[in-house]
Amino acid sequence: MLNWTLYKREVKNSVKMLVIFGAVITMYVAIIISMYDPEMMVSLDKFYELMPELMASVGMSAGATTLIGFMISYLYGFILLLFPMLFCILRGNGLVAKYTDKGSMATLLAAPVKRKTVALTQMSVLISGILILMIYATGLEIIIAETSFPGELVISELLKLNAALMCLHLFIGSICFLASCVFSDTKYSIAFGAGIPVLMYVLQMLANTGEKAEAAKYFTFFTLFNADGVVAGESNAIIGAVVLGIGAAVLYAGGITVFCKKDLHI
Amino acid sequence: MSAIDIQNLSRDYGGGKGIFDVSISVDKGEVFGFLGPNGSGKTTTIRHLMGFIKPKVGSCQINRMDCWKNRDEIQKSLGYIPGEISFFDDMTGKEFLKFISEYRSLKRDNRMSEMIERFELDPKDKIKKMSKGMKQKLGIVSAFMHDPDILILDEPTSGLDPLMQNRFIELMAEEKEKGKTIFLSSHMFEEVERTCDRIGIIRNGKLVTVDSVETLRKRHMRSYTVHLDTPEEAEAFAKDFDGICTDNSVTVTAKRGLEAIFMDYYGGDDHA
Repeated sequence: MLNWTLYKREVKNSVKMLVIFGAVITMYVAIIISMYDPEMMVSLDKFYELMPELMASVGMSAGATTLIGFMISYLYGFILLLFPMLFCILRGNGLVAKYTDKGSMATLLAAPVKRKTVALTQMSVLISGILILMIYATGLEIIIAETSFPGELVISELLKLNAALMCLHLFIGSICFLASCVFSDTKYSIAFGAGIPVLMYVLQMLANTGEKAEAAKYFTFFTLFNADGVVAGESNAIIGAVVLGIGAAVLYAGGITVFCKKDLHI
Repeated sequence: MSAIDIQNLSRDYGGGKGIFDVSISVDKGEVFGFLGPNGSGKTTTIRHLMGFIKPKVGSCQINRMDCWKNRDEIQKSLGYIPGEISFFDDMTGKEFLKFISEYRSLKRDNRMSEMIERFELDPKDKIKKMSKGMKQKLGIVSAFMHDPDILILDEPTSGLDPLMQNRFIELMAEEKEKGKTIFLSSHMFEEVERTCDRIGIIRNGKLVTVDSVETLRKRHMRSYTVHLDTPEEAEAFAKDFDGICTDNSVTVTAKRGLEAIFMDYYGGDDHA
């Protein structure tokens, strides 16, 4: 099903990016968690009162009193959305469309390896990268939270939260992968693979800012990721995450099918 | 038995571009030259053979297998040199060849080192920094190292110096001896003339003629008889111009190269 030689090469190519994004996430997670201080919350709430739109647009809301609530406010609205998303966009494009565009796809296909195998392998590389980032972030959050505030973080809640986050990123990755499979030109692959997630994120920011723009939430898949809801165990929030997961599976399968059937002018 | 069979293959890209009703059959063990200028449809035909493009009209088969449906099966015994070499720039030549042999699950005793030696390839450099000729050599090594039965070569000697071109032609002759089928696309008349059994000439996407090299040459051969003043002069003339001397007249045959034949097919009306 997979070609391990290709898989190894591509995972190796992902390492640099994973290290960079891992480092950025490490920095932010460490800083944000160390900032958790129920007293500090008061001052942050003051910020919120001063400029509620700006704070809300990046997903920070007032009144987060538990550690996980605090983390949702300050990590899950921006840092943990944006950086794994960047990874999906860059890697998604590089795994298929770049090869087709440059013509080196001919090297991969002029061998007794099925197109399906090539596509499945590249998909697995993308998913592996997302999983690595998610597992790393989870481990990091647990370690930092436990060392700074022992017993404050309910790990089962964090696991639920990050499972939902993973569904979201698998879905974003599937959009990038599909774009990469459909377009033979990196120009268009990036336009769609990056354009759609970024546009959706902007809509999400808009929706967060206020009542007038709230309707925007019906036009962005980020709404399906309801961090507070998942932690609280709301069924709607869980359904949202499941929908993202199913959507991802559909789009990945779609990408592979398109790639197997399309004409390659390489 | 034909190793490569193209039947009524058409692909219209609009504006006169594409290939139209191309039918070619190459026997097992035959070397077929596919001659045509740039943009005449050689690479489009080859993309169909490689299973990169699905035929819209017509069909193509290799070893009686459909080139689109059974593309991975066909690739087991096929060697391919692309017209435009594009490998992985981030690798060195050595890493690339190692990657390809693992990717194809080749056994250790393949022809890699033999080919590297033969073409004096220096695989230590990053592919990105290689010259066009060096990349071409890398392409040759990766196409031949698994010792395929069918070779599809799209302008394989482009970028090679004359010495290496000769070595490549020798290699093709050896492969032919071994009974390999070769489909050689080229616009190098000499290369095709020296190696091919039959030649197909394509122009504006249409196959103009398919014939053996000999027939093509004969059809276009002309001879002249020149009368000279003395038998001595005639003898010298015959020696210089490779003619047949009788008394003081010499018969010279203009062995027109394929180039001239080629020009015959292309000369004149440009847009048929």
